[in-house]
Amino acid sequence: MMIIASYSIKGGVGKTALSVNLSYALSEAGQRTLLIDLDPQGAAEFYFRVSSAEKFRMNDTRTLWGGLLRNVRETDFSGLDIIPSNLAYRHFDIALDSMEKRRKQLRRVLEKFSEDYDTIVLDCPPNITLLSENVFRASDMILVPVIPTILSQRTLEQLDSFFRDEELPVERLRPFFSMVQKRNNMHRDTISELSASFPQFLKTTIPFSADVEKMGLRRMPLLAYSRACDAAQAYRALCNEIIALQETVS
Amino acid sequence: MEPQRNCADWLVLPPGLSPECLGDGWDVARQRRTVAIFTFHDTFEWGLWFSGYTLYSTGDEYVLQTHVNGWPGAVKCTERGVGRRFWHDFSTDAMRSYLREPLGLRGLTAVATGRFSTQLCELRNDMGKIVCRVEWNTVAEEPGGVEILVWCRVLPLRGYAREAAQVTERLASIGAAPSSAGPIALLLRHAHQEPRVYTLKPTFDLSFETPAREAVGRIISTILSIADSNIHGIISDLDTEFLHDYRICLRKTRSLLGLVKDVYPAGETCRVRKQLGDLARATNRLRDLDVYLLARQDLLEGLPDSLHQGLTQIFAEFSSEREVEQRRVGTQLHGRATARKLRVLRESFSSPSTHEASSAALLPVGPLVFRGIYRRYRKIRKIGKDISIDTADEMLHQLRIECKKLRYLMEFFNELIPAKEGLLLQKQLRRLQGRLGDFNDSSVQQRFLLDWWHKGRSGIDAALAMGGLLALLHQRRHQARLLVDEVLQEFIGDDVATTFKRIFRRPAVMSENNSPKDRPQ
Repeated sequence: MMIIASYSIKGGVGKTALSVNLSYALSEAGQRTLLIDLDPQGAAEFYFRVSSAEKFRMNDTRTLWGGLLRNVRETDFSGLDIIPSNLAYRHFDIALDSMEKRRKQLRRVLEKFSEDYDTIVLDCPPNITLLSENVFRASDMILVPVIPTILSQRTLEQLDSFFRDEELPVERLRPFFSMVQKRNNMHRDTISELSASFPQFLKTTIPFSADVEKMGLRRMPLLAYSRACDAAQAYRALCNEIIALQETVS
Repeated sequence: MEPQRNCADWLVLPPGLSPECLGDGWDVARQRRTVAIFTFHDTFEWGLWFSGYTLYSTGDEYVLQTHVNGWPGAVKCTERGVGRRFWHDFSTDAMRSYLREPLGLRGLTAVATGRFSTQLCELRNDMGKIVCRVEWNTVAEEPGGVEILVWCRVLPLRGYAREAAQVTERLASIGAAPSSAGPIALLLRHAHQEPRVYTLKPTFDLSFETPAREAVGRIISTILSIADSNIHGIISDLDTEFLHDYRICLRKTRSLLGLVKDVYPAGETCRVRKQLGDLARATNRLRDLDVYLLARQDLLEGLPDSLHQGLTQIFAEFSSEREVEQRRVGTQLHGRATARKLRVLRESFSSPSTHEASSAALLPVGPLVFRGIYRRYRKIRKIGKDISIDTADEMLHQLRIECKKLRYLMEFFNELIPAKEGLLLQKQLRRLQGRLGDFNDSSVQQRFLLDWWHKGRSGIDAALAMGGLLALLHQRRHQARLLVDEVLQEFIGDDVATTFKRIFRRPAVMSENNSPKDRPQ
């Protein structure tokens, strides 16, 4: 089982759009996929028309696992389940902090899903907390959407430094360009510069698209209602690139 | 039809109900409806049904599926093609391997055709989220279109168990309920093709004290009914087992009449036995040819490749002759005379009073038959003791006939014999009969071949093959002869003799011991 995180310190870069569409594309490719919405805002679950998760205790790994398991919801799409978010997730850090081996507990809990799923996708909130650190240690691949702007460049550099300082597996960081506008010179220059300094950038770029924004109206993954648009094709290409990487890693 | 997980998952619905009956709780969206016409196939003995399978063809595809009480189960294998009758007509290894045992020598025949429709319905909540799915199915007769059954299955989504329970509850409130008989069972019932157990060894509800004529009459009318049920299969030439079973029924009836003396007037017994003999004799040639043609592969494997061409010629001639012979037998059986003859015989044995009085008619059947069994065994023992490796074939032939008579008696009156010991004795008897049968078959086949050849056949390839066949059969006959002695000595040995004596010599004592608790439940 592979665990893939969709993460960025910065908000509004397309993390949830990535989580939702990547999960959909993975399930369409035949992988039994579980999307876990770790962001208390609960945007991912909104796109799947799923209600918030029921509250549950997080005293230890057993109760955390039991709570997550109880909240698995089958989506309308074959092979794709979701664990919706809950405002209580804002206490995730406190809960993890009270456990032994507090930086590695999430992996231990998620491993228990390995019989049911081929891939778990984590939609993460935009911050660096103990939960984020658990996500970094739990994930086989951390996808970082990067809008090709100076500010995004800065946050990627911050994340890279954090990984190196905390001796986290920096090779698992897989940034990719998101919301790219081809005609924007600054975007073109930033892509060129960042690709040179971060060789682990994925090849696929996700274009800026109004179709993606309509997900909020349609309340379903872009790939489910607009399969042929540029952004949909890009998400599918990104999924294929990730599957190829999964095979290399495994 | 999707594989089922459990019969209890299926709910039978009142006729005419549609998925919109759930519309007051959820938005119902029907997915694409699939409709297919399935023709189910099985053998005369329902070999597939009773092995837990159904085989249907749809378009140019055969599908083998498991079933529980006519509820469709998992698909085991599929194969493209049409017009398959025997297991070896199928081409894929998987299909052949599944069908070989349940079909045996039996041919498939279409038993019912139905129009099956399946439609998946999605139930959405206020947010537009699918919270439950329901598979909606119907089966209707084809042609005709009369709906036979509507049934559904609630398919819960993970995390939405409460909604699934609400859907089930709603369906129950409008009449949905589990049912033991599934759509295939109902389709068969509708087509008047309900699977029934077919056996050549039925029970007759006899007791030790049943008057002999009543008991024998009950047995004979039952066996003749079985013979009758095979006639349509012989006429339409569905498979060779129809003729085989028909002949066994005639032979058993004839044999029984000869074994229970004085139960019917001697003249009548003699007349009926002759009639039965005539009916059987009329099919002798066809059966001989069947036996040869069924052994074709075995004989081909027994001869070198160089003789296969000649052997193929011989079999081609057998095959042509069989076609002619089958038509002749079919026409004869189809005719009124044979049907009337069998009907009159069956009816006359259904009522004991239709015959003149005779000395043993009212005697209790138990002691009469047990004495007969014991006498038969002693005769076999006497013949057996005189048999050595040099004994003439005639003696072995006589031994085989006596064994057959004993076997029939023990089978007919099996209900009266203590179960455990009866089974053991019959098992030993069957082993001896098997060895004697092998020996006899190879002798008879040699004679058949020689007769056939002497009727003016020619051709060097055929002559060579004939020589090869005769040598092969001679060798088999010799081997079979050597194998007879071992089982014969066991069967006539002191242990078996003591058991026969204990059970059958004093039938009055056995009568007391033959309580129901001795019988298998």
